[in-house]
Order: sequence, then C-alpha cells, then structure tokens
Amino acid sequence: MSTSAIVFMAGSWAFVLGLTFWAFYKLLQDKQHFDPDGIGPAAPPKPAETERPKG
Amino acid sequence: MASSGSGTSHEAWGSRIGLILAMAGNAIGLGNFLRFPRQAAVNGGGSFMITYFIALLLLGIPLMWIEWGIGRNGGRYRKGHIPGMFAAIWKHPAAKYFGAVGLVVPLVVMIYYTYIESWTAAFAWFSLTKDYWGITTQEGMVGYLQSFQTISPEGATVYHQPWTAYAFFLGTLFINIWVLSKGISGGIEKLAKIGMPILFGLAIILAIVVLTLPAQAGIGTTAWNGLEFIYKPDFSRLDEPGVWLASAGQIFFTLSVGMCTLTAYASYLSKKDDITLNGIATAATNETAEVVLGGTIAIPAAVVFFGVSGAMAIAQGGSFDLGFATMPVVFQHIPFGNLLGTAWFGLLFFAGITSSVAMLTPITAFFREEFGFKRETVAWSLGALCLVFGLMHIAWLEHGVLDEWDYWAGTFGLVVVAVMEVILFMWIFTPSKAWESMHQGADLRIPQVFKFIMTYVTPVYLLFILGWWGWVDALPILLYEKSAGGGALDPANSPYVTFSRAIIVLFAIVSVVLIRMAWQRNKYDDRKGFVEVDHSGEAA
Repeated sequence: MSTSAIVFMAGSWAFVLGLTFWAFYKLLQDKQHFDPDGIGPAAPPKPAETERPKG
Repeated sequence: MASSGSGTSHEAWGSRIGLILAMAGNAIGLGNFLRFPRQAAVNGGGSFMITYFIALLLLGIPLMWIEWGIGRNGGRYRKGHIPGMFAAIWKHPAAKYFGAVGLVVPLVVMIYYTYIESWTAAFAWFSLTKDYWGITTQEGMVGYLQSFQTISPEGATVYHQPWTAYAFFLGTLFINIWVLSKGISGGIEKLAKIGMPILFGLAIILAIVVLTLPAQAGIGTTAWNGLEFIYKPDFSRLDEPGVWLASAGQIFFTLSVGMCTLTAYASYLSKKDDITLNGIATAATNETAEVVLGGTIAIPAAVVFFGVSGAMAIAQGGSFDLGFATMPVVFQHIPFGNLLGTAWFGLLFFAGITSSVAMLTPITAFFREEFGFKRETVAWSLGALCLVFGLMHIAWLEHGVLDEWDYWAGTFGLVVVAVMEVILFMWIFTPSKAWESMHQGADLRIPQVFKFIMTYVTPVYLLFILGWWGWVDALPILLYEKSAGGGALDPANSPYVTFSRAIIVLFAIVSVVLIRMAWQRNKYDDRKGFVEVDHSGEAA
C-alpha cells in the first residue's frame, strides 16, 4: 500500500473507531439514564450496606 | 378539543442497549457492505473519504440528532408517525399533510427492500448447499443471479424453478411481519439483540479471512491492494460535484436519515431519556460497520481474485453484481467457501432485516395511535399489502419498476423528507427550542457549533443536493429521458414505469385521506396542538 492510502485508511478507521469507543465508554460511565422505558427507578439502586459486627 | 389519539397502550424500549442495537440495526443495512465500498472505489478513493466525512459531520450527524429530537418530541404526545410529529412542532393545519410523505417513503422502500433482502436469504441457502458451485466466472454468476430473478435472456441457462424467487420472498416477508407483530420490546428489540452480534461476528470473521487471503497465481494482488484501491487519494476529483453528491447520498443511505425510522424509534423514549449520547453511539456503530468492516470485505476480495482492473470493472457494474456474482466466485476458490458464503449472505440478511422491520414502524404507529387498531392486525394487513406489491416487483423486475421506486422513494424521497424535517424543527420550531428539546435528559452536551450547523449549514447543504439532483437526475427521469436505473429508458418499459409511479401517487393520496380521517376522528385542533401524555420529565 502507498503511504497516502495508509494515511487515509488509518485516519478513517481511527476516526470511526475512536468515536465508537468514546461513545460507548461514555455510555458505560453514565448511570443516570439507564432506564429508558421510564418504568423503573431514575437512579441505580445503592449498594447494600451491612452493619459491622460490634465488638 | 385537542387530544392525544385513540389511546392504545404506548410501547417502550426494554433496555438502553436494546434501543442502541435496534437503532444501529436500523441504520446498518445492505448499503454498508455493498454500496459503500463501491462508491468509495469509483469516486476517487481517499478523495471520496474526505467528502464522506465532511458530509457525515455537516449532514449525517446533525440530521441524526434532529430526527431523534423530532421523534422523542412526537413521543411526548404519543405520536410515532411523521404527520403527528410535524403537527406537534408546527401548529398549522398544513403540517400534518406534509407528513404524508413520511408514511409513503418507508412503506414503498420496505416493499422492494424486502425483495432484495430475500435474495440474500436465497443465496445463503445456495451457498450452504453449494448450488452454484462450478459456475466460476463473473459472467456465469451474473447469469445465475438473473436465473434466480427470472430475468434470464432468451437461450440462457436456467438454474432455478420459476417459483424459487417467490418462495424466498414469501419467507422473508413473513419473518419481517412476524417480528413487527411482536412489537417494539418483544419483537424489534429482541431481533436486534440477536441479529446485531451475529452481524458483527460474521463481518469480523469475513474481514479477517479476506485480509489473510494469499495472492492468486496469475493475478498477484492481495487484499491490501484492494484497500489501496479504496483509499488511495485522487485529489483531482475533489472539484467534481458528483463526488460530493455521491458521498452525501451514501451518508443518507447509511444513517437511514429521511426514512422516518429513526423518528419512529425515538418516539418510544420518554423525555427524561438521553438522545444525544445514544444518537452518536448508534451513528458511530454504523460508521464502524461501514468504514472498517464494509470496506474490508467485498472490494478487497474482488481485487485478490480479479486484480485491480478487474475489480474496477466489477465496481463500475454495480453493487449487486459485486455482492451476488463476484463474491460467490471468490468463495468457490477458498477453503470452507460454502460456509463463508453462507456467512456473507447471512450477514447481508441480518443487515437487511434489522432495517426493513424498522420501515413499517411509522405506518404501524399511525394506524395504532390514530385508529386504535391492534398491532397484530396492522402488521399482518400491511404484510398483505407488501405481498401484493412485492410480487409486482418480482414479476416486473426487468421492466425497471424496482429502480423507479428506489429512485423516487429510496433516493429522492429521503432528501425531501430531510428538508422538511430540518426546516420544521430548526426554523419553524426555532433553533433555541430545538436545541433545548434535544438536551432534555441529555448525557452529552452537543458542541455549540452544531447548533449553527443544524440551523444554517445542513438546510443549505440539503437544498443544494435537492436542487442539483432535481435538475440533473429527477427531471430527465420524470420526463422519460433516462431510466431511474441509469442509461436510456427502453420505450417498451414506459407503461411499467408510469404504472409504478401511479402506485406511489396513489399511496400518497390515500395517506392524505387517512390523515384527514384520523384528525377528524380524534377531533384534533391543529392550532391548539396535542395534549402531552409523557409527564416523566416532571418526575425525573
């Protein structure tokens, strides 16, 4: 492959793959709108807390 | 008194990943794997990619966000169809009638698209059973394809029974309608959750196989020469309007903008749900499928077995020859070729069905929301309609009927819908309200520059495309000076062309009448607008 073709291919792939990974990274980070049907809670449940045994 | 419609229970997406996969499945279609590599190869390679990404940023992504915005705004009033969505953003009696084109375009495209989709199902079967094994030339496989399509020339070898094409069309249509009848969460979302991983899995396998194919004796080129064929920049072509139009057209096809399916799917979201991040995630997924995977399979494989000049000649011949004639020849020369052939056509089938099912969603929503019909009743009734006109396409394929519908609905119609959408949402609804609407519940702040692009650049770009295509293509086709499929129109086909156009016009008239009936039945007041039924924003 010529250098110019490699540059265009690498640039094109980097752009679309970068955009895809960035978008899905953001999606996985986000916890606020995980419930699109509006039936469930608006925020994820908090992890259960256990009391430490005394003494 | 204004109201929100007949009150059938409104559907919803079951999960965010289901929504994203369904939206991506709607966008990823035959165009990603057949049309894109051919367009890139014949329009200047790297130069095409420059214009392609400019069109993506100025046309595709802005329109995608606009369609998600229009759709979710319509969902607030339980409107999953374009007439209702237009009426929701422009309180004028004419708004709903502009939306008639939004019912006709997806219906018309779905009918012929399902027929093409049935070819992929048939060729998956033919590959698995090695039915075409032994036909090792491009010309021979074109003859095989024509035999399946029942358009073989006089004296040519016939490989199939005449009913074969009809049987595969019936089966494909049945699957489409069955999925549609199961609803958004129970049918479309499940299909996407199953179909999309299969699609990506098959595409990755095929891309790896193609990239590792050895150079063939007497040819000497590899898949990397094929990638060079696609990506080698020819800057001399950047000043050709045709290259810019080709890339803009490809962006339209690939993102399914103007098809009214994005709007329909987005209407099943509540106003507290994000559309900005979901939208860019689905668009990016589609672009990965197209640029990374779509560009790495068909053309590079053709270059390995036919050389660069041979692949160029094939690419000039059209997308269908590349997919249905060239690829079967390639599969006969590689180990496990019948399984890889099944994978290729299976990939195209899953790409097709996740798009075609979406196309009947807007009209299904219209009948359910405005007339109170059950989903199953609407789905199977539409199935009967699609069957009748699908049979027409099979019987009259050689007379250019499919090309005619593809041009007026699948090409020109998309741009017409997009022009109306952007003008109504960004100009009449006003840029500030549109921007605010898109950012309700948003997980991503859209860069401010896109507000300017959506308001001014995208509409001007679209109007330029509409004007150019109208002058260069649509007018000569309308006046029978050339055929919709390219080249001169055979006078013997003129009656078929006229008849096929008359059907589209009839669909449009019926749509206008149905819209009027729906508004009268539900006593809508165009000036007051609809009553909002989505109050989830207050609770959020």
